[in-house]
Amino acid sequence: MKVPLSWIREFVDVKASAEEIGARLGLRGLPLESLEAHGVGADGTPADVVMDFEVTANRPDCMSVIGIAREIAVAYDLPLHGDGISRRQQGSESPTAKVVPLQTNGKVDISIEEPSLCGRYVGAIANVTVSPSPQWMQDRLTMCGVRPISNIVDITNYVMLELGQPMHAFDLTKMRQGKIVVRRAKPGEQMTTLDGKARVLSSDMLVIADAECAEDIGGVMGGSPSEISSATTQVVFEAAYFFPSQIRSTSRTLGLKTEASSRFERGADRTAPPRAMARALQLLAHIGAGTFTGDATDVYAAPYQPKAMHLESGRISGLLGMDVPDNAVVRILTSLGFEVRSAAAHEASPRPAGWEVRPPAWRVDMHRQVDLIEEVGRHYGFEHLPTTFPGVEQAPPPSDARIARDRRARTALLAMGFSEAITLAFIREQAAEPFLAGSPAVVIANPLSELFAVMRPSLLPGVIDTLSHNRRHGRADVRVFEIGTRFSVDGETRGTGFGWTGLATADHWSGARRPVDFSDIKGVIEQLAAVFSVMPSFGEASAPYLAPGRAAALIVNGQTIGTFGQLLPAIAEARDLPAADEIYVGEVDLDALSAASPAETLRAVALPRYPSVVRDVSLLVNDSLSAETVRGTIRTAAPPTLVQVREFDRYQGKGIPEGRVSLSYRLTFQSAERTLTDDDVSAAMAAIVAALKAEHGAEQR
Amino acid sequence: MSAPIDSSISPADARALFRAELAAVRTDAELQALRNRWIGRSNSWTAAFMEALKTATPQQRKSLGKGANDLKKDVEAAIAERASALAATRRPKNAVDLTLPGRGLQLGHRHPLSLVRDEVIDIFTRLGYQVLEGPEIEDDYHNFEALNMPADHPARDMHDTLYLRTPLQPRSYGAEVPAGTKAAPLTLLRTHTSAMQIRHMEHNAPPVRLVAIGPVYRKDDLDLTHTPMFHQVEGLVVGKGITLADLKGTVSAMARALFGSAEVRFRPSFFPYTEPSAEVDIRCFKCAGAGCSLCKKSGWIEILGSGMVHPAVFEAVGYDSDAVTGFAFGMGVERVAQLKWGVGDIRLFYENDLRFLEQFGI
Repeated sequence: MKVPLSWIREFVDVKASAEEIGARLGLRGLPLESLEAHGVGADGTPADVVMDFEVTANRPDCMSVIGIAREIAVAYDLPLHGDGISRRQQGSESPTAKVVPLQTNGKVDISIEEPSLCGRYVGAIANVTVSPSPQWMQDRLTMCGVRPISNIVDITNYVMLELGQPMHAFDLTKMRQGKIVVRRAKPGEQMTTLDGKARVLSSDMLVIADAECAEDIGGVMGGSPSEISSATTQVVFEAAYFFPSQIRSTSRTLGLKTEASSRFERGADRTAPPRAMARALQLLAHIGAGTFTGDATDVYAAPYQPKAMHLESGRISGLLGMDVPDNAVVRILTSLGFEVRSAAAHEASPRPAGWEVRPPAWRVDMHRQVDLIEEVGRHYGFEHLPTTFPGVEQAPPPSDARIARDRRARTALLAMGFSEAITLAFIREQAAEPFLAGSPAVVIANPLSELFAVMRPSLLPGVIDTLSHNRRHGRADVRVFEIGTRFSVDGETRGTGFGWTGLATADHWSGARRPVDFSDIKGVIEQLAAVFSVMPSFGEASAPYLAPGRAAALIVNGQTIGTFGQLLPAIAEARDLPAADEIYVGEVDLDALSAASPAETLRAVALPRYPSVVRDVSLLVNDSLSAETVRGTIRTAAPPTLVQVREFDRYQGKGIPEGRVSLSYRLTFQSAERTLTDDDVSAAMAAIVAALKAEHGAEQR
Repeated sequence: MSAPIDSSISPADARALFRAELAAVRTDAELQALRNRWIGRSNSWTAAFMEALKTATPQQRKSLGKGANDLKKDVEAAIAERASALAATRRPKNAVDLTLPGRGLQLGHRHPLSLVRDEVIDIFTRLGYQVLEGPEIEDDYHNFEALNMPADHPARDMHDTLYLRTPLQPRSYGAEVPAGTKAAPLTLLRTHTSAMQIRHMEHNAPPVRLVAIGPVYRKDDLDLTHTPMFHQVEGLVVGKGITLADLKGTVSAMARALFGSAEVRFRPSFFPYTEPSAEVDIRCFKCAGAGCSLCKKSGWIEILGSGMVHPAVFEAVGYDSDAVTGFAFGMGVERVAQLKWGVGDIRLFYENDLRFLEQFGI
């Protein structure tokens, strides 16, 4: 809300500078957004200063000069002049504006057919000569961001800015039969608004019509047929009260936000229309734009009844934690326009000591005692709040288990050299496609752009984009991960996704560089499983985003909880990664991984007391035989004293027949009861080699 | 140096000369040359001096001879000492270039938002809070209605909401917050973590002392200060006699822990779910209030929105608004990170450029 300081000073004799006023009101709930000097005065200083206040949605009363002046009056403990009508008068020798209260004679033909949408309608007829308004009026409108149009229209806008009551003026001769009918629009009814746009209305919208046609979208915008023109000689001024929700929905449906609608939709003052009308008619005479005919009607079926609210004095300190003296409570509320009576006067009341408070009609935000307490608190000043601390009444219940769990996964991945990324959770539809696994995507109805069209079903699209960004910005070796939510129509799951491209080894002057390969990414998965004490197994994964033959599934308790392997080069290329690079990615469901973790039942195992025996064996087998199968055969054939099987070499090439591979295993035997003898171990080895030969035709080398 | 030394100088003068020459010695070779010139068998100062002594009187010979012998011993000792000192500084054959870079055991770097998130979690855990996360897809009731923002409430304008094209059916919300009695379809991305307040209070009687943390979503275009997804920390304390002054104490403690600035300022404001409401500023920790670019010359930095829980919110979750009061506050994680580290452009947090991430340690 932009207001010139000169206009404010018509209502309150505040001596402070605009800066000082802004700083103080900021601490009273009305922050100043900006200050702008306007014009040059006699002494070379700015003639006026436009103060732009940020008015919160609950305070439509402050969308007016008088509303802001009232806040200043309370903040500086100064009287507010003019009872809503400005004390001094612009463009006049007379120091005082004489505003005659409106007298109605009921001779304006107004009917409200929809009292649920329009709570009051004041109309008054004036004979006018349309011309530009005086310069002082045009200047003020301009400073407030309103374009001057003509004296009649400018008067309505001036009153709106000054008192917060939106007004309208119709060319009376254009109103068929001189009637004003407040009714719902007929379905499909058409009207051209003042902005020149043809509007199709619906029956949930309110219009001001004449005997036949809609002439104005009530509280939103007027219509062009009855617009004030230079030929207009007689007008009917409107000052009405429209209910907020209807204005809000009409404004939203039509995509039409106006100065009037933004005031009505937040809640206008039901008692203001006659005051506003009286001020408009006074201005009309004052600027010589016309004369009031004396014909005025006020249709006001259900007059405003101020709600009596109780304010307990103990409740103020109970909520704020600071004591506000009784006289300050009374001063603040009274200055804000509340009627305040000491509740002690009502002896019948059993309630504790306090006040009976009636808010003024412009304070549409007053519903409960806490609203009153806020008024008292903010004007007494939050700077008086002491600093106290809430006592702990009970031991806090445990935090979300995912927090500690995610920290474990994060720590492990950081230790493996992955940096943490956080990406936006919405991605383009095409990027989500390969990760959906046949399930529909969670689609945003009103996305910012197609880049943010669907909620990610996987963390990998974000990881891949992060790899790509870093590759394009001079990093050849990139390791990143993200921990976050994945979205599907079945719900949200938390996972971690990671990607690796470039060197697996640190780039170092000593050489020994090696690009990342499948075993590296598998190692990451194995370590993650180990962090959660989970025994994993691995299988082929069907993942359309991974290269065939290099797509693996992490299986725990028979359930696939992760996928990893080499990214399909076509996907890499589509995300601006070089197709020639091998990129390895993986994703693990952290909810499932932690569910499989035996953390609760984990028991430490005592260290063995007897030495272990290590034997190596090299075998020649078909190269299609998986290491896991060989390991399985070894374990089945071995006695329980076999505690570890480890592949330590795999060789194909010179000396090995085509289609065969040399696999070397290191087997560790150990007993918890005794030292194993050479014979024990040799017998075990013989059984193992025999089984390998029988099952896989393995030759010992 | 190779010139023979004048044997006519006295042992006392010779000692001073020797000391000066020894001090200039830098290498083994220089030391050897020095040794030869002073105490070598031939062509040395000692040899020449002894030679010259032969022509001296017996009495002179006795005193000068002793002086020459003492000098010879001193020279030998000083040379030996210097020789071992030189040996100690000599680099062994297998010495390495200490200035070459080490072989990195590569460590990853933590995201700054994650660092702030954990810092906040740790601060509030220390203060006895329960830390919760919650669903990111929400229903209208938990995100708006129960927070005193009915369908046509003007305050909804402050939250530009992203909606789902097809609403999802409600499901269980995880161990901490069981499936609610309010089982409305999920239609939107939560615009604030305040939705978690409702979910928690629906299932837990007071007292409440919680912090909810996580991503939230608004239809904001990406620019210097906005991203359509950002992270929020929400605090909620409910109990008997909780006051706005308690909020001030709590926020001061947090500000001290996060920024080292404990002076806070409350400015009245408006949020539908709190009454009274306040925006909280902290004393600028960069200029201590004098006015700088960080605080836009005001001496204060806005860090969060807060207030006393609105009675309508308590009524929505079945709390007795006459019996309990509570405070709530909400703060942006990005904002804290921007202030802490002077990050001007919020989009940097979502670009994940390693050159940026690597600035924050782990």
